[in-house]
Amino acid sequence: MSAFKTPSRRRVRSEVKTPLTPSLASALNGVTLDSPVKRSSSSIPVTDAFQRQASSGVIRKGGVESRIDVVVLDYVPPPISKPAEVKRSRSTPAIKNVADRDRFITSREHNLETLDPMALNTKSASPGHTARLVEATGVPLNRRILGYHLPPPTASSDTTLALQREFARPLYANRPGSLATSTGSTTNKTRKISTQPERVLDAPGLVDDFYLNLVSWSSLNCVAVSLDTSTYIWKADTGAVVQMGEAPSGTYVSSVNFSADGAFLGIGLGTGEVELWDVERGVKLRTMAGHQAQIAVLSWYSHLLSSGCGDGSVWHHDVRVPRHKVMELLGHNGEVCGLQWRKDGELIASGGNDNVVNIWDGRVGDTPVGGDTVATGNAKWTKRNHTAAVKALAWSPWQPNLLASGGGTNDATINVWNSTTGARLHTVTTPSQITSLHFSPHKKELLSTHGYPTNAIGVWSYPSLEKVAEIRDAHDSRVLYSAISPGGDMVVTGAGDESLKFWRIWDTTSETKKTKTARLEGATRSGVLSLR
Amino acid sequence: MPPTKQTTRQAITLKGSTALVTEFFKYAVNTILFQREVYPSDDFHMVKKYGQVVLVTQDLALENYLEKILKQVQKWILTGSVTQLVLVILAKETRTALERWVFDIKLVEPVGGEPGESSSKPETEIQSEIRAILKQIVSMVTFLPVMQEEKVFNILAYTSDSADVPVGEWIDTDPLAIEAGKSQQVKLRSFSTDIHRIEAMVAYRYEE
Repeated sequence: MSAFKTPSRRRVRSEVKTPLTPSLASALNGVTLDSPVKRSSSSIPVTDAFQRQASSGVIRKGGVESRIDVVVLDYVPPPISKPAEVKRSRSTPAIKNVADRDRFITSREHNLETLDPMALNTKSASPGHTARLVEATGVPLNRRILGYHLPPPTASSDTTLALQREFARPLYANRPGSLATSTGSTTNKTRKISTQPERVLDAPGLVDDFYLNLVSWSSLNCVAVSLDTSTYIWKADTGAVVQMGEAPSGTYVSSVNFSADGAFLGIGLGTGEVELWDVERGVKLRTMAGHQAQIAVLSWYSHLLSSGCGDGSVWHHDVRVPRHKVMELLGHNGEVCGLQWRKDGELIASGGNDNVVNIWDGRVGDTPVGGDTVATGNAKWTKRNHTAAVKALAWSPWQPNLLASGGGTNDATINVWNSTTGARLHTVTTPSQITSLHFSPHKKELLSTHGYPTNAIGVWSYPSLEKVAEIRDAHDSRVLYSAISPGGDMVVTGAGDESLKFWRIWDTTSETKKTKTARLEGATRSGVLSLR
Repeated sequence: MPPTKQTTRQAITLKGSTALVTEFFKYAVNTILFQREVYPSDDFHMVKKYGQVVLVTQDLALENYLEKILKQVQKWILTGSVTQLVLVILAKETRTALERWVFDIKLVEPVGGEPGESSSKPETEIQSEIRAILKQIVSMVTFLPVMQEEKVFNILAYTSDSADVPVGEWIDTDPLAIEAGKSQQVKLRSFSTDIHRIEAMVAYRYEE
């Protein structure tokens, strides 16, 4: 402690007499700068002599230094340094004593003043510097300062990990506007919708596959749902469940769709066949074969049943004639998973796994006479704005030229198109994959269902495309299938959590609401019903 | 018989106190590393501790590194040979010290005296004191200068001359002090067990 420190003080004083202090050097510099003439005449010999003197430690009188006369002026040992030194050395071991320490800190300020010139000495290894550091840190010198021999590890900046995180980001994306503790329902001020389903139906075996379309709701108020190999009709009016037969062994149902009048049900199979069923009698009318891959989507217009196939083709089947395939639409490189006829049959929109949206003329061309060839159509518009598979397609019921399309996980964007001009009218980006879209029949609103991470049902106003309401975590897993009720107030959603949920999204007039609730009270207050 | 009983009890208390202090260091260091953004924030996860949420690193390398250091620190605390623990935050490029988080470790009750008489402090009270320090560390972020540059940290242990030092693992180092004229100091809260008293302080580089 003091044995260590005192020499440092001595050295400070001794430096006053030695010529090599930094202050002297700087003073010398100042002189040479002040009189450049003198320097030019005698710079080399003076420096030489100076160095010799310096190395010998003796300064001759009459040398440059004495002429400069700065040595004495620079380093005057301050009178207060001595008592301060005494205090310091005494206080060092007594660190435990708070009073001593306080005095020690006060005296430090004195010391700092006097020792300030020492800061010029950049050789930090000198004891004087150490002493100063000791003061600055308030640590006595009889201690050892130890550090671990290894440097701390650098922050992990694994590039592959960063890349993986980037890829996984859509799945773990922040749920905007949600608190960590939120149960997951946010509703806009402007309108409140019930975040609880009106009814839950158990749907064991409902396939969790984005590309399929397994739920349909007919104009006769029947809901068709396919559970792996079997299709069931749930009659919303009575709550009765009817099975619509099984898919042939070795395959599964990949799509269902009701005809506009609700009397017929088209069922697409994994092997490429399209079956036609009579809903009322529950019998299969015919099987229309020809496709070589899974039928992921079906859409009806009048007597035409159109099927979207895994090979990227869309066929129009005329269900009335034996040779059912009347037209072929070739415009996708990937599986067609979205297909929607416009109500008037003028246009049909298709979306595929190749991220393309096509809008086709709905008129069926004349079938060439003879042979197996059929008329082929050309896309009226081809839209490549989406960056993921397009499954969600919806035509507006109140403005015929509006088509909404929604992309998958990497896209998660809803685009609204004008089918007449081909213009993209609106775009809104959502937090998650869009699995289906519906326009409300009665309101200027758009409904979307979403996959990870929100598993939400969203309602958007049109044309502003502002979020009107949202039901977060509508299902336990991604919401995949949805259908809108004939009344236009209810929406049924199906998801990989093997349940169907019925939501009241749009309240129609209070009258119909009353009757609806009454009907629900009568039929299904029993809670969860099983379809099987 | 009674004296031996008391000494064993004391030994246990010393050990318990040491463990408590070491554990506090672990969470304090983690909190500082997170709050001062020495490591990216997504390396940390939330842990419930002292009745509040504390962010602890999940970076395995860093975890092991801290564990090794704290293991040795625990030994030193047990033998009473460490007086101060300092977490220095340095600029990565220039190696200049930007912040020094100083924890003084003091023995409250020198060995001897009347061991049985000391009023033992309830653990809940100690925990609430620790909580107060950790909260204070978090709140320091609001007025400590923003450190733009890349940062690294270093942990220094101020030990007595007689301390047992594992050869090759711990080496004498520079105190990594901040120049006195450019340093500002803030004293933080303190906490104490029956044996130890921890006083916290932060010094940071402040240039006008």
